[in-house]
Amino acid sequence: MMMIILDITTTAAILFIVASGLLIVFGVMKIVNFAHGAFMTVGAYAALITSYLALPAIAAPFVAFAVGGLLGAAAELLIVRRLYNRPLDAILATWGLGIVIGQVLTLMFGREVQFVPAPVTGTLAFLGNDYSGYRLLLLPAAVVIGALFTALLTGTRLGLATRAVIMNETLAQGLGIDSTRVRLLTFGIGSGLAAVAGAAVTPLASVDPNMGLPWLIGAFMLVMVSGGSLPTLALSCFVLGGLQVLVSTFVSPILGGLTIAVLAAVALRLRPEGFARV
Amino acid sequence: MTITRSLSAGLLLAASVTAISAIAFAAEPIKIGVPVGLSGANSVVAPSVVQSAQLAIEEINAKGGVLGRPLALEVADDASGAAGAQKAFDSLISQKKVDVLISMETSAARNAALPIVARGKTPYIYTSFYEGKSCSPFMYVNAWVPEQQVPPIVDYFAKDKAAKKYFLIGSDYAFGRGMLAFTKAYVEKTGGKVVGEEYLPMDGSDWTPIISKLKSAAPDALITSTAGGAPNVTLTKQLRAAGVKLPYGNLAVDEGTAKSMGTDAEGIYLSASYVTGIDTPANKTFLAAMAKKFGAELKTPNDLSVPEYEAVYAYKAAVEKAGSTESAAVLKALGDVSVPGPRGAIVMSKQHHAPLSMYLGQVQGDGSVKVIQSFPSVDPGEQCPNLKS
Repeated sequence: MMMIILDITTTAAILFIVASGLLIVFGVMKIVNFAHGAFMTVGAYAALITSYLALPAIAAPFVAFAVGGLLGAAAELLIVRRLYNRPLDAILATWGLGIVIGQVLTLMFGREVQFVPAPVTGTLAFLGNDYSGYRLLLLPAAVVIGALFTALLTGTRLGLATRAVIMNETLAQGLGIDSTRVRLLTFGIGSGLAAVAGAAVTPLASVDPNMGLPWLIGAFMLVMVSGGSLPTLALSCFVLGGLQVLVSTFVSPILGGLTIAVLAAVALRLRPEGFARV
Repeated sequence: MTITRSLSAGLLLAASVTAISAIAFAAEPIKIGVPVGLSGANSVVAPSVVQSAQLAIEEINAKGGVLGRPLALEVADDASGAAGAQKAFDSLISQKKVDVLISMETSAARNAALPIVARGKTPYIYTSFYEGKSCSPFMYVNAWVPEQQVPPIVDYFAKDKAAKKYFLIGSDYAFGRGMLAFTKAYVEKTGGKVVGEEYLPMDGSDWTPIISKLKSAAPDALITSTAGGAPNVTLTKQLRAAGVKLPYGNLAVDEGTAKSMGTDAEGIYLSASYVTGIDTPANKTFLAAMAKKFGAELKTPNDLSVPEYEAVYAYKAAVEKAGSTESAAVLKALGDVSVPGPRGAIVMSKQHHAPLSMYLGQVQGDGSVKVIQSFPSVDPGEQCPNLKS
């Protein structure tokens, strides 16, 4: 029983880390960054390089954030900025960006699957169970990320400006808020966060140029269901992630992979604008 | 005067054209197509397979080629799956017009490719171990099938580890399901019980719910059969991260992948037709030649790559016996030729499959495999009773 609860909470934590970057970009810019999966892959390769350079594993998320953030800011300046008034074209452009990033990674690293050692190996005795130490580590990591962003949004001037832009961009511009700068920083931070997520999931699985794509689909579903709110995202990750684990455990892992997509489709049918303002 | 001149010029031209085309024709290479998983699940193993093919071709060309013609290598990426295999095989057979296909592939890729091979009537030597019973008049197999590989592991667990309850984990495709179906039948035939059987899609990497089920079923031993390469590594990593220390028989791991798993692989039992520790002059010569050619870039020769090396030599022998590269003649000869190699003398004489010597081994802390028992000349059983071999 405890095992399943741990499975559910750690899966929810992983989904939250992966989807939060996408949510931040969606909330501010009202576009879905389809290069999110590619930024995750960039972060995973940053973690690979960190392990090649024999740096301590704790450095990996920071290196990933830096690389992903800079790449995202550059993408915003060069590509997304020109498409402010054309959100659908901006989505298409980010999809193209994702493809380009994937191919550049293939050219740099080869297309084979590679592996990053986990910073924490073995099990931890937690609440009466021996559970994977690394998975347990991702729980506080998710909480920290959520807390940091809530603090950023509510406690800083940038956060205040961002919330104004989220609420009503034209009005915010009228009040003198530089919404262009907000967008740049948001895209950079969202991409950096995607890279951190990539670096975080890599030790559990493997790295290859296309690893981000399946995560993108799941993250996209979760963000759509959550509307624009971070707390609602945490809740959706818990509910949908939990149901995925339950289906995988009691029915079959193959159907479990479908759960998030199917449930998200059902939820959006019931409430197309998402569940942010329930 | 002018007529004689133009006549002689014409004769000279005709003579030189014939001479040039004769030279060109004599040196026209025999193309060997190698469709292999450069990306996807098999990408961990594919480089070693390509290296084996490269060494075999280089050695054969240095000795004058086959029937006076050099061998040429054409590699294509099948992305370790059915869709990629269709593209790779189509391009090799229709565009590059290869004379033979020699490669290891996932069962999904092989099954998708066989109709294309049959249409192109190209001989295909399949060098990967697999779940058995795949039959085509155009395909020969020089690697093991479950009848040769599974009994050593199950017998060892039952006798030495007193195992009665087994948990089976696999990748959800022909190989995973086929191997575990055979294993389940063999376990039950020898008095054991299967307490759980779980599958994950081939590209899946989250084994968490399956590992939870494994822990709650409390078996005596674990036997797994995932796709070769990445799924093996992710499953083993996650099993060790979850603290699973059961006797662990892996039906699909090779020495190269075990090395890349590092310390997580220690203790895994495997049953293979090739381990680098095979103590024969042929194997030692082979390993020395590989080390000399590839140096620091060498990928550990393993049970998925050494059959590739031997298959190129088998093709050479078959072409020389048939006297040409014509498909039907070569296919007939492939079932008779015996080629000495690192795994011993192998002949694909049993319904397009080969009797093989098998080794039961355990992975050590440094990634090498220690041989516990060896079984000479194990029969592959009835794989393709309908093929006249």
